[in-house]
Amino acid sequence: MPELKDLENKSIYIIREAFAEFKHPAVLWSTGKDSTATLWLCKKAFFGKIPFPVIHIDTTYKFKEMYEFRDRIAREWGFNLLVARNEEAIKTGFGPKDGKFECCTALKTEALRQMLAREKFDALILAIRRDEHGIRAKERYFSPRDEDFKWNYKDQPLEMWDQYQSIIEDKTHTRVHPLLHWRELDVWEYTRQEGLPVHPMYFAKNGKRYRSLGCEPCTNTIDSNAATIDQIIEELKITKIAERSGRAQDKEKAFTMQKLRALGYM
Amino acid sequence: MDINVVIIGHVDHGKSTLIGRLLYDSASITEGRVEEIQRLAEEYKKRFEFAYFLDSFDDELKEERTIDTTGVMFKGKNLYSVTDVPGHKEFIKNMLTGASHADVAVLVVSAEEGIQEQTGRHAFLVNMLGIKQLFVMINKMDIMDYKEKAFKDTKKKVSQLLTSFGYHNVVFIPGSAMEGDNIYKRSERMPWYRGQILIEALDSVQLKREAKPLRFVVQDIYRVDSDNVIAGRVESGTLHRGEEVIFYPSGAKGKIIKIVVFGGELEKAESGDSIGIIATCEPRRGDICGTMDNPPATTTEFKGEAVLLEDSLKAGDVVELRCSTQRVSCRIKEILEKIDSETGAVIEQHPKRLIQHEAAIIIFATGPIVVEKFSDIPELGRFVLVRDKNIGAGVVLETSA
Repeated sequence: MPELKDLENKSIYIIREAFAEFKHPAVLWSTGKDSTATLWLCKKAFFGKIPFPVIHIDTTYKFKEMYEFRDRIAREWGFNLLVARNEEAIKTGFGPKDGKFECCTALKTEALRQMLAREKFDALILAIRRDEHGIRAKERYFSPRDEDFKWNYKDQPLEMWDQYQSIIEDKTHTRVHPLLHWRELDVWEYTRQEGLPVHPMYFAKNGKRYRSLGCEPCTNTIDSNAATIDQIIEELKITKIAERSGRAQDKEKAFTMQKLRALGYM
Repeated sequence: MDINVVIIGHVDHGKSTLIGRLLYDSASITEGRVEEIQRLAEEYKKRFEFAYFLDSFDDELKEERTIDTTGVMFKGKNLYSVTDVPGHKEFIKNMLTGASHADVAVLVVSAEEGIQEQTGRHAFLVNMLGIKQLFVMINKMDIMDYKEKAFKDTKKKVSQLLTSFGYHNVVFIPGSAMEGDNIYKRSERMPWYRGQILIEALDSVQLKREAKPLRFVVQDIYRVDSDNVIAGRVESGTLHRGEEVIFYPSGAKGKIIKIVVFGGELEKAESGDSIGIIATCEPRRGDICGTMDNPPATTTEFKGEAVLLEDSLKAGDVVELRCSTQRVSCRIKEILEKIDSETGAVIEQHPKRLIQHEAAIIIFATGPIVVEKFSDIPELGRFVLVRDKNIGAGVVLETSA
């Protein structure tokens, strides 16, 4: 399909621009479908070898299958995997019981912040897409974060054509979003075309499947009988249910997602 | 076919509402979203608005205005990426960010208010961006009791404005985004109108691709196994294996030995392709490659039209200019004319200084750079100006001064 080729071409261009413009980029990988496709695009952009580290944020609340999947792909694809954990919060047993907003902020955003401070990454490649969430639809391809990790969404840079703003100051970093223009359906069609590995939890068992993967306590299944990629693609062509409908942090209250993202959440 | 549509126009003329209506009537809204918006409307003590499908920031709902650009997609005869942009002057840089990717523009003008400041400015800017296909939605016809005269009066004035920018034979559609007239469904309330409704106009869009000379942009050189792979993108034309090519500004000259992608080789690459090449010469990031019979040319001075989005600019200032992957130092040699971005009229000859939101014809003196006339090869005829951040954008009118 020529459309997938256009999407891929643009994403590869963006990934190469990020690599050329920043000193220490890294890519974030949740093991989900979008970030796995992003890793694959990174492999393709650099002809097989991802030239920067791959970060996985481990909240310790991830599904058991995700850890197995993560370690297998890391081994097979041969990249440098870094695991980000907020050890202090994990030690005290911090979790969703302390509030979903607080939990996401401590175990995801803060874990990532610590990793960036330690490794001095100046760019983070992330797999967010416009069609996932209204707030993500407002993003730029290159989106700066200040030293407090904050997203100043009220004053985003001018980003015309393929001229991404790449100036960074000390202690800040830029989020790079090479998949911003992809739809959920495109990701699945690309996964099928490229034969990418798929997390088994996306496939239906007993009439239920996960459509978006997060932490075990805050991720719900949807009703579905789609047990193969082909069936998932067929399902997406007719569904009217939002992709992240099974993700608690998106809809706990109005604008929870905006508040999370303003603080540096993905 | 994928078509990028930008919806432009003055604040409160109904851009976000129009897109919300398109999504809603084409059944592109996910389950629960309507209820979610009803809940939000109650929480904010406001009435249900289609615009709330687009305006996702807390502040946008509170202030009832769009702050930043949004992209949404829906499927009609084509797959549409529709871009919403803010209608306030203070957010012009967000408007341009959204509009720079568009193939087609829909100018929304309220039949009640007629032409306002951003009506003209947005039309001027999309014209500068080279968007040739423009439709006009005369909106809020419900407030005008769907009277043909109201449509005709507004159409006449907007038509004059657009003609001055060089838009001719524009389709004007009377409608109401709020009530859903002539957006996705033909209205029975305006039997006097028999032209295309908005979705029909969009479905009739054809995007032309013209044959152009080869321009390949170098992003980087990677060491892969024992080869130096020149990574980059074909911006126009076709690149063939075995061809003799030349890179400028460096002047590196050689032969294409291989065209490579991960896990394979290609005989040729077309415009838009992100590829790698192995050649008998060593270009560098920022080089532009062409064939020997139609090579790119290096210049150090060119004439362009630019709009300033942040900060101020005066003759003699030195900024950075970015065009494709080229980054060069650039002196504002001479500001020839200041242009009113609301009307397109020349308002001052040889002005000393430009401020935010002003447009001008400028002679740029730069380090060695390859540029093309924007009307010939747009990918190499557009640039941004950088001073601590992206402050302005422009297009190349003449490749020499």
